[in-house]
Amino acid sequence: MLKDITFGQYFPGDSVIHRLDPRIKLILTVAYIALLFVADGMIPLLFSILLAALAYALSKLSWKLVLRSIKPIMPIVIFTAVLNIFFIDGEPLFEWGFIKITDRGVLTAALMCVRIISLIAGSSLLTYTTTPIALTDGLERLLKPLTKIKVPVHELSMMMTIALRFIPTLIDETGKIISAQKARGADMESGNAIQKAKALIPILIPLFISAFRRADELALAMECRCYRGGEGRTRLRQLKMAGRDWVAVLVVAAFFAGVILLNIYGPGVMRL
Amino acid sequence: MAETMIKTEELRYVYSKDTPYEHVALDDVSIEIEKGAFVGLIGHTGSGKSTLIQHLNGLLKPTAGKIYVGGEDIWADPKDIRRFRFKVGLVFQYPEHQLFEETVRKDIAFGPKNMGLSEEEIEKRVLDAARFTGLTEDYLEKSPFELSGGEKRRVAIAGVLAMEPEVLILDEPTAGLDPKGREHILSEIKAYHERRGATIILVSHSMEDVARFASHVLIMDHGKAAMYGKTREVFSRVDELVELGLEVPQISRVFARLRANGAAVPESVLTVSEAKDAVLALLGKGGEADA
Repeated sequence: MLKDITFGQYFPGDSVIHRLDPRIKLILTVAYIALLFVADGMIPLLFSILLAALAYALSKLSWKLVLRSIKPIMPIVIFTAVLNIFFIDGEPLFEWGFIKITDRGVLTAALMCVRIISLIAGSSLLTYTTTPIALTDGLERLLKPLTKIKVPVHELSMMMTIALRFIPTLIDETGKIISAQKARGADMESGNAIQKAKALIPILIPLFISAFRRADELALAMECRCYRGGEGRTRLRQLKMAGRDWVAVLVVAAFFAGVILLNIYGPGVMRL
Repeated sequence: MAETMIKTEELRYVYSKDTPYEHVALDDVSIEIEKGAFVGLIGHTGSGKSTLIQHLNGLLKPTAGKIYVGGEDIWADPKDIRRFRFKVGLVFQYPEHQLFEETVRKDIAFGPKNMGLSEEEIEKRVLDAARFTGLTEDYLEKSPFELSGGEKRRVAIAGVLAMEPEVLILDEPTAGLDPKGREHILSEIKAYHERRGATIILVSHSMEDVARFASHVLIMDHGKAAMYGKTREVFSRVDELVELGLEVPQISRVFARLRANGAAVPESVLTVSEAKDAVLALLGKGGEADA
């Protein structure tokens, strides 16, 4: 159950995608998400998904990871689809009592589903191929201009680093606590909603206690090493742009151009 | 041979299958543990000890192979798996991290309550388990979070003992405790073994502890059961143990060296008191020869 959570998890590798500058990866991921929303029909949308597919292929990660990243959001996808199918007006395709399904409804539902799925699948690649440390380094660097307006960028990114760092630890810990309570006969599968919620108490209390204990220990360890915030701090790893980073930017720019061209000149089928 | 309590057949377990982290944790482990045995389970970190013990009460489902507890295949009916969790009590490493109730009494009662026992039976078992672990009545109304580390550990172990399992498995129950705390916990386990006739599996890094308490030793290495047998037999195979990067009890090492130097001492000496007898016997003999 817990090991199925792959979002925010890093899979080591040595591909081009892994070695891209984290700043570029962040920007390009945002660009990819924008691309999905710029595409205004099924054809441009499928074209923009090609970008994610290309990146996945280059990353040499298992295709099964795509499925695993999508699995937890399936309820949201289905909910969105149902909502769109039944509540959008247009030419009715099917009518029965108060239930009405329209052509626009079906198309919107299809577009939204594809969009959400490809959004999660594509952006998961960012965390699959970037270590949390590199990610926050990149983020800190990108947000640095905000320090001018007194945004504590370093502190925020440090908090994020720590939070990310502790996700696997806490998942691990949760697994252990669940096992320990199960060993004492805790039953987490059966019962109604209230019983299930109650069954979480033996998990959550030890988990919170251990999270606080870890936070205390970490704070102490950081103080022992004289941590005092971002001012004047130098970096062990300097981020530098390489040739491949510029190539990646160009590829994404080309996809952007392609989608815009398809939006304007592409065939008029499956559009809103 | 005595009745078999736990039996595994070609048990195999693979972690994170189909990801870059794939790792074979158990590799065709077939062992048979007889009823009433006290098994010391030894192995390096990552040798598969923890994975193995989590199979024995059905917390992990084997990738392949079978597990029998008291002659029953525990995965014959997956819905019935909880029954085996009560039969095979498992105390995890740092069990005090699982405490959650407001009072010690309630926390110890968690297991028996899950078994669906009557109020009186639960009360009786809580008191029994508390007595076993040396917790007096006035502890029962305290919050487990105001206790010391060693006391917390005892509460957590009492929580498993209260289920009165036929098999008790403990994963390094003395880790991080001071010598007095260690001695306390070990003697409680010993008492549970003797008085209840329970089968015990003790995961430990201390060869001395294993030599003192265990009737059998199981050595895990790279997911395989490298050696299994009577404590004395296993610890007399000093060379093989050293090859696996494991140690034998200090005193056994001393005596192995003595034998190598030609002293007529017995082949396997496991504890200091045995060593004393052996030395006295040797000296006694020497004395006679002189006389």
